[in-house]
Amino acid sequence: MKSVTNLKISISGVRAVVGDTLSPLLMVRFAQAFGTWTGSGTVVVGSDTRTSGEMVRHAVLSGLASAGCRVVDVGICPVPTVQVMVEHLGAAGGVAITASHNPVEWNALKFIRSDGIFLDSYQAEELLAIYHQGEFTRVGSDSLRLPRTDASAVQTHINRILQLVDAEKIRARRFRVAVDCCNGAGAVATPLLLEALGCEALPIHATPNGIFPHPPEPVPENLTDLCNHVKATGADVGFAQDADADRLAIVSDEGVAIGEEYSVALCTDFVLRRTRGPVVVNVSTSMMVDEIAARYGAPVVRTAVGEVNVAVRMKKERGVIGGEGNGGVMYPPLHYGRDSLIGMALVLQSMAEQKMPLSEMARALPQFVMVKKKVPITSERVPAILARTREKWSNYTLDFTDGTKIIGDRWWAQVRASRTEPIMRVMVEAPTEAEAEDLAGQLMAEIASA
Amino acid sequence: MKPLKLSILGVRGIVGEALTPELVVTFAQAFGTYIEGGPIFVSRDTRPSGVMIASSVIAGLLATGYEVIDLGVCPTPAMELAVRRHNGAGGVAITAGHNPSDWNALKFVAGTGRLLNAYQGEELLDVFHQGEFARARWDGLKPLRHQAHAVPEYVEALLEQVDREAIRKRRFKVAVDCCNGACVDATMRFLTALGCNVLAINDEVERPFPHDPEPNPDNMSQLRAMVKASGADIGFAQDADGSRLGVVTEKWDALSEEYTLCLIAEMLLQSGDTLVTNSCTTRAVEDIAARRGARTIRTKVGEPHIVETMLFHDAALGGEGSGGIVLPRMHHVFDSTAAIAYILDYLARTDRPISALAGSIPRYYMVKERVPCPPERAPAVMARLREMVDERPDLGNVDFTDGIRLERGRSWVHLRPSMTEPVLRIIAESETAGEARSLVDEWGGHVRSFLL
Repeated sequence: MKSVTNLKISISGVRAVVGDTLSPLLMVRFAQAFGTWTGSGTVVVGSDTRTSGEMVRHAVLSGLASAGCRVVDVGICPVPTVQVMVEHLGAAGGVAITASHNPVEWNALKFIRSDGIFLDSYQAEELLAIYHQGEFTRVGSDSLRLPRTDASAVQTHINRILQLVDAEKIRARRFRVAVDCCNGAGAVATPLLLEALGCEALPIHATPNGIFPHPPEPVPENLTDLCNHVKATGADVGFAQDADADRLAIVSDEGVAIGEEYSVALCTDFVLRRTRGPVVVNVSTSMMVDEIAARYGAPVVRTAVGEVNVAVRMKKERGVIGGEGNGGVMYPPLHYGRDSLIGMALVLQSMAEQKMPLSEMARALPQFVMVKKKVPITSERVPAILARTREKWSNYTLDFTDGTKIIGDRWWAQVRASRTEPIMRVMVEAPTEAEAEDLAGQLMAEIASA
Repeated sequence: MKPLKLSILGVRGIVGEALTPELVVTFAQAFGTYIEGGPIFVSRDTRPSGVMIASSVIAGLLATGYEVIDLGVCPTPAMELAVRRHNGAGGVAITAGHNPSDWNALKFVAGTGRLLNAYQGEELLDVFHQGEFARARWDGLKPLRHQAHAVPEYVEALLEQVDREAIRKRRFKVAVDCCNGACVDATMRFLTALGCNVLAINDEVERPFPHDPEPNPDNMSQLRAMVKASGADIGFAQDADGSRLGVVTEKWDALSEEYTLCLIAEMLLQSGDTLVTNSCTTRAVEDIAARRGARTIRTKVGEPHIVETMLFHDAALGGEGSGGIVLPRMHHVFDSTAAIAYILDYLARTDRPISALAGSIPRYYMVKERVPCPPERAPAVMARLREMVDERPDLGNVDFTDGIRLERGRSWVHLRPSMTEPVLRIIAESETAGEARSLVDEWGGHVRSFLL
């Protein structure tokens, strides 16, 4: 069977490759389907900086308008800004045009519901059903509504953040902050936020042109430029964002990329100091979070991977902090969504209060090593692989929230199928690198032989 | 039945019914695939669906790897001029011209600044039906630019066509009805630059059409009242995209749209000139041409047919009874503001009031009727009509240039399926109203009987 790797229509939205599977017709039709799903309501549209953003935006504007929606076009801005604006404007929904950490030739539509959270799996199923049915609301000329451009969205988002942190305390420290926006949507917001927090912003790759200087996933191997920049400038901290600025990774004052797992961990430590309540994270997030929560006597709730899964659970459990270990900090007082900007603000306030270098703050957290591996597979093998893992590790506590997670004593391992690529992802976290690599090796061998 | 027309003239339909963003985005991709060269210009008229349709057009064109220059609300002839002057690969006009507000359409312009000719139109349809479109990669996508100087450039080009000083001296009082359409800005700038005292009605582009935009006497009552109240020297009615023109005389007579071409023929044609018009335009224009020693060539209905024939014969003037006028000195497109320019220039040069010119137009009576007819049944009806006229040579001289045209004595009747609506059009003209009416009734009866 041919594996289709460059078009993904799923409950995460629609994702495709420009010049190949991403046709303007596909974008128009999905926008019509979403406009139909919202009942011709107000819809906020924003995009990251990808070169295909303009084309996709026009297709989306047209499809939404045709379905009778009132469109508020917030232009190029971080995805979390679109989410914040949906809530802020009391809109029926939002469309974020971004393929987040995917390579530059991709683009995608992500659909947001009225509370600023992405569509949950049932709502996404509804949307897909409308799309496949093809019976869209198409209003006549008299009911068409002109789109409105709103250039104040980023400022609105920043103002909301300033209300949630002790901006005076941060300003007093006059931090020097290096930031790598990957020429993505963060470039239009991050320098403004840092200025508002009295920091000296030292940006690199902050031209919002969608030409990514490195792969946009903010993992350590992509952050060499930022590490060197922190060292060269002697910055107090370095922040890296992905193309749509929902994920955050941190480079310490020593110029070391400490790993994207530390973003949620540092924010969790900071928030739990002042507020007690559940921490909600996905199953793949570092055990650091469990041990930090234990220090403060806070419960940890684990959900399936995927922003919406965490967000919905967080709302239900009245979580106080959490997110996804891949750098997706979620702070409910702002909104239920991954947001690199609130992550930065929380880390900066934590630095201001603890009065110690970021590198020391990181070292003060429980220490684990996480390894992440990919094994190319064909999708028909997924059930067998998962069954095999399940059988093999049946003596351990197993969690099937997403794939198979094996929970040991101060270690865990997870095997799951990627939603966006034909690969199995293996993640292992353990106190030392040797232990983690050893476990990962065993699991990869099992996958290969399944 | 949802009226939708895919033809060599582009694609046209009612928004929300047949004219959907899916169809529009696909057509735009087909156009981007078909043409070659520099940027593509996009213009629209003021109808409420314009912005939505423009977004689809822009998305489709960008996807094929073209730079797109969005002129926003802009007369079609101004966009056509911009394409030619700035080496565009082509242009897309988003306008249903004279159709009511709930319609919209795409008109496709080649790099020459003229509508695609019939063959190009066919080729574009082939690309559309084939469904294989050019797709630029992420690094081959070009930007969208917004430009506002198409209208000032167009007005400057119009001013070069006339004797500005002569017109200024006359301080003409000009009433104008732009139907809240795309011409408002250009027409106001142009008339003001000529020192005219401009009395404008329906000059707000944000507002809906005050009446159907077809510049016929039924839609010119406001303009007529304005001319009467103000004592204007002339009144002009423009359709939504600036293709067609209607005229009201200083004696507040709203002239049939058939007379716009007649007036300009009377002003312009010289001995030896060629006039090009379609099969169903008034015979009066042919009489005027003959009177002035010019020949008339009749073509199929539609701007591309008129224009291509004009180019081939190096014609001095072309146009249709709909009020669409081609003045080749400016460019080979229907251009209502160029027609205004020509008329004012003539009035400044001659001292003849417009009513005197109108009075010299030979009198005929024209009756037009539309018989509802689903597009898929039209060919069979036309075949039956054709059999009838083949069997009855006594009915008169037959011409099949476009549909069927029967001429006997000084009367004629013309039958053809509409290019834009699910109707069969019957037009008859005669020296008396009664004769014209009975011709339409007679042939309308045949058509209806074939549809039973």
